[in-house]
Amino acid sequence: MPTTTVEHDVVALVYAAKEDSDAADQFIQQYLPFIRSETAKFVGAAPDHRHEDELSIAMLAFYEAILGYAKSRGAFLPYAARAIRNRLIDYTRKERRHQNLVSLHTPNGEEDERTLEDTLPTENDTLADYDLRQASQQEIAEFGRQLAQFGLTFSQVAENSPKQDRTLDACHRVLDFARRSPALLDRFLETRRLPMKELAQGSGVDKKTMERHRAYLVAILLAFTNGYEIIRGHLCQMAPGKGGRL
Amino acid sequence: MMQYLVLETHPAYAVLLDQQGRFLKAANLRYTVGDRVTDIVEFQSPREGLSPVWKKSLASLSTLAACLCLVFFGYYQPNFSPYGTLRLQINPDVTLTLSRNDRVVGLEGGNQDGWDLIAGYDYHGKDRDTAADELVDRAMEMGYLSDGDTISVTVSSDDGDWQQAEEAAISQHLESKYGQTIVISLGPQEDALEEDVTVTIPLSPTQGDSGYGASDYGQSSTGSTGGSGQPTTPPPASSGDSGYQTAGDSGYGPSGNSGYETSGNSGYDDSGASNYDSNGASSYAGDSQNSGYDSGGDSSQAGGNSSYEREED
Repeated sequence: MPTTTVEHDVVALVYAAKEDSDAADQFIQQYLPFIRSETAKFVGAAPDHRHEDELSIAMLAFYEAILGYAKSRGAFLPYAARAIRNRLIDYTRKERRHQNLVSLHTPNGEEDERTLEDTLPTENDTLADYDLRQASQQEIAEFGRQLAQFGLTFSQVAENSPKQDRTLDACHRVLDFARRSPALLDRFLETRRLPMKELAQGSGVDKKTMERHRAYLVAILLAFTNGYEIIRGHLCQMAPGKGGRL
Repeated sequence: MMQYLVLETHPAYAVLLDQQGRFLKAANLRYTVGDRVTDIVEFQSPREGLSPVWKKSLASLSTLAACLCLVFFGYYQPNFSPYGTLRLQINPDVTLTLSRNDRVVGLEGGNQDGWDLIAGYDYHGKDRDTAADELVDRAMEMGYLSDGDTISVTVSSDDGDWQQAEEAAISQHLESKYGQTIVISLGPQEDALEEDVTVTIPLSPTQGDSGYGASDYGQSSTGSTGGSGQPTTPPPASSGDSGYQTAGDSGYGPSGNSGYETSGNSGYDDSGASNYDSNGASSYAGDSQNSGYDSGGDSSQAGGNSSYEREED
């Protein structure tokens, strides 16, 4: 593999981007022209407004490539190019499947009285929608700030989130126990640390699992402390008894 | 349907929260923080499709192995692996080992003269016709082969079809090249007796009486040609050696030929009908499978006079 200086630089940037989402954002912005041109290659035309989705997918693919890259995989840009292409192929395939177009007026689901049309993010929000979004944004911003005090970002929490249902349930058992122990929660907020021992004892979840999902536990516990109504309202599908009010 | 709350947006992705409490990354399809969305393209942890180099090495190795197999079976084997033999008997007896594609991959003498004939001859890279021609020419030069002589051609192989095709091809070739002066005969001559020699074969099953030596008849191309007159000792259909080949063993002809071939014919009609060895097994074990005498049903040889009294078949 020709180790030119340029390649070295790129690799260094990639490795920096792996750790830090800001660095990642920057790196991606820097290579946006590359991502665009790879998309154009696939789509067969310059990605314009007709291909915004494809470009978004390509950018996600590039990001995935950053996180998945290792020097053993060769030079970064070809690797990223392949990633983009594969993603676009999958996406197009999926989209083509959905080409059995459904009427926008079909119901959204059995329980849902809305139609598909209602679920589309509209450009013209109703006032209620706008307000809801504004309020959500504020809550979310606050949530983010609080997470930052614990040294966490949303990205990190996402990375740390349990993928398996089994582990997710275990974490929620920890949450359940914590919610029933306000004193413990207070301690958590004050010390900005998770009281691992007590939580483990009280919830019956083993420490190792908890350690592995520390960031996630912080986030989910936080969500159930202050006035994160909207967020909690959103979490209505957690196992019974977990969503809604404290 | 699962709803996702958009928590944060980045150029290349967004962080969402699903209704079961999972935080996840997904493509940023023009999201705004606070949006609720349903159709997402979720971030996939690096693993999919892009395998580490060692797997690529493995793939490359497998491909290489496959190619080598192809080369081997497709090229090497048909061209270089022995597939059958071509035996030329003039007086010198030589056997060429052939590959499936008629390339000569081996050469050996069947008798002393045969070894002499091939001494110093390089068969590498030559095909059947070329090698045969060159050997025949050599034989002529060395005085083994003269006008009116016979070359007996015997092909053997496990593949009957191939064998037949080869026989046809080589005899045709030699015929067209030398047929004016040389007789091409298919089928092994086995220490042919001199013409006009009448041999009375004793009926008693004793082995050594006729002086034929080890009578293991049943082998492929050289099935006891002349000496088959011992029908009551059914020879094992082994692929051994009838023991007739060595010069002088049969004790018949001065040249050790047992003198059948004056006309080059050894008395067996030369249209190939006397080839008992068409499938290689001239088993005389009474089952007349291949005794080869049945070609015309008549074992009294055409031009020759090896008039034995043969008991059977």
